[in-house]
Amino acid sequence: MYIPYVDIVPQLIANSVIAGAIYALIALGFNLIYGTTKFFNLAHGAVAACGAYAVFAILKTFALPVNIVVACAIGAFVAGIIGYGLERLIYRPLRRRKASNMVLMVASLGAFTALQAFIAILFTSQFQALESSGGISGAIEIYGAIITHTQVVIITCGIAIMAILAFIAKYTLFGKAVSAIKDDEEVARMVGIDTDRIIGKVFFIGSAIAGVAGILIGFDTGIEPTMGMNLLLKGTIASIIGGVGSLYGGFLGAFVLGFAENFGIWKISGEWKDAIAFVVLIVFLLVRPEGIIKK
Amino acid sequence: MEYLIHLAVMSSIYAILGMSLNLVVGYAGLLSVTHAAFYGIGAYAVGILTVSHGYGFFGATAIGMACAALAAWFIGIVSGRFKGDYYALVSFGFNIIVFSIFLNVQSVTRGPLGIPGIPKPEVFGMLIRSNAQFLLLAIAFTLATYAVSQWIVTSSFGRTLKGIREDEDALRVFGYDTARYKRIIFVIAAMLAAVGGSLFASYISYIDPSTFSLNESIFILSLVILGGLANVNGSVFGAIFFILLPEILRFVGFPPDIAAQMRQVAYGLILVLLMLYRPQGMFGEYKL
Repeated sequence: MYIPYVDIVPQLIANSVIAGAIYALIALGFNLIYGTTKFFNLAHGAVAACGAYAVFAILKTFALPVNIVVACAIGAFVAGIIGYGLERLIYRPLRRRKASNMVLMVASLGAFTALQAFIAILFTSQFQALESSGGISGAIEIYGAIITHTQVVIITCGIAIMAILAFIAKYTLFGKAVSAIKDDEEVARMVGIDTDRIIGKVFFIGSAIAGVAGILIGFDTGIEPTMGMNLLLKGTIASIIGGVGSLYGGFLGAFVLGFAENFGIWKISGEWKDAIAFVVLIVFLLVRPEGIIKK
Repeated sequence: MEYLIHLAVMSSIYAILGMSLNLVVGYAGLLSVTHAAFYGIGAYAVGILTVSHGYGFFGATAIGMACAALAAWFIGIVSGRFKGDYYALVSFGFNIIVFSIFLNVQSVTRGPLGIPGIPKPEVFGMLIRSNAQFLLLAIAFTLATYAVSQWIVTSSFGRTLKGIREDEDALRVFGYDTARYKRIIFVIAAMLAAVGGSLFASYISYIDPSTFSLNESIFILSLVILGGLANVNGSVFGAIFFILLPEILRFVGFPPDIAAQMRQVAYGLILVLLMLYRPQGMFGEYKL
C-alpha cells in the first residue's frame, strides 16, 4: 500500500505525542521515586498493570455499577497502595540494612515478576479490552492525523499531572521535603524531616500515577499481564535520557523517546520500536550520561 | 522415566547457563541481564546452519560460540563503561536489541515462525536418537563447562576478577587493565551460554524468539542468585531447583497452566526473600 508522504507525517507526530504522554506518566512516577530512593524501582511497571487490572475487575469481572471516572480513581488508588506496600515490606527494610542499589533493584525485579504472574493467575494471561459501554469513544482529526478521544485524555492527563507535580514540588511543604531528601537523606533526617513517611507518600503518589498510565493504556489498546515490562522499560529510558530524578527531565525525555521511536519506524517495521528505544538509551548514556537536563 | 530424562536434560542446559552467568555476575560482580541473548545466538546458529546449510552439530556449535563471542566482545566494549545498576540497565537493552533481531530479521531467522526440524547431533558417526543418549551428551557438556568454570575461578585470572569485584580502583593502581579482564570473562561466559543454546536447539528441535526474551535472562539470573553468587556448584543447584520447581508445584496440586505462573510467582518471591534475608544466595560467597 502506498501512503503519500504528506499524509503520514501528521499521524507520526500525533503518535509520537501520544506515546510521549504515556511514557511521561510512567517516567514522572519513576523519577519521583528514584529521586528520593536512588534506585531503579523495576516493580513500577507491574504496579501500572495492577492499576489497569483493578479497573478491569471493577468494570468487567464484578461489573459494579460505578462511574468510569470513579473506577479509574479506585484503580489509581489500588496501584498507589501496592506501591506503598512494596516500600513498606521490601524497600524500607532493605534501606535500613544499607543494602546496595543492586540489591534493591534485584528485589524490585523479583517483586515485578511475582506481581505480573499473580495478575496472570487471577485474570488469565490473555490480551483483554478495557472499554465499557459507558466509556469514551470517537475520534478527532487534526491536519489529517486521527486521534481518538481516549488518546486526547492521555495527552491531557500527561500534561496535567506534570503541572500538578511541578506545583507541589515548588509550593508545598511536602515538595520541599521531597527535594531535601533528594539532595541528602541523612541531612534531611537531621533537620527533622520524617524521611520514611515522606518516602512512603512518594511511593504512593508515584505508583498511583503509574496506575493512571496503565489504566489509560488499557482504554487505548487493551491490557495483558506483561504490559508492565514495556511500560517500565520505556519509562526508565525516558527518565534516563531526560535526566534521572528530574521532574522536567523525565517529561522531556518521554517526548524525545516518543518521537525517536515513531519516526524511527517510518521506513522500517514497527517491531523494531523497542530496539530503537534502547539504541537511543545507549547512545545517550555514552554521549550525555547525565541526561538532557543536567542536575 | 522419559520425563525424568527430559528434566535432567533441561537441568543440565540451565546448569551450563547458570555457571557461565555466575562467572560474570558472581566473580566479576557485573549484574548482566543479557545472557539469554547469547543463549539465543548459540541456538540460532545451530538451527540455521544445520537446517539450511548442512552443517553438523559440532561445527555449527563452534560457529555459534564464535558469533556469541563476537557479540559479547562488542557489547562488552559498550557496557564496560557503566557500573552497578546502570550496567544492568544497559544489559537489559542489549537483550532487547538481540531479541528484536531474532524477531525481525525474518530472512535469516524466520521471525516469529521459528525454525522447526533441527536435527539431533551426530557423535563419532553415530546419530543420537533417544533422549537418554542426548542426556549423556548434555551431561558431558555440563561437566566440560563445570571444569572450565572451576579452572577459571581457581586460576590467577579468576583471583584477579574477584579482586576487581571487591575493589576495582585498587587493582587498577596495581597496573591491571581491569576493563580487559571484565571483557574477557564476559566473552567466555557468552561462548559457554552459546553451547547451552546449541544443546537446547537440537534437543527441542524447534526454536523461536520467545525463548530468548528478557524474561529468560531474568530467570537465569534468578537461578544464579538462588544458588549463590561466586559459587559454581550453587548454580548447578539453582538450575536443578528451578527446573524441578514447577513439577513440585504440580505435585502439590496446582493445575499445569497455573503451575507455570506459580513458578514465576515463586521465583519472584524467592528473589525478594533472598535480597531481604540472604543477598549472597544459598551457597554464595559474594553479596551484591
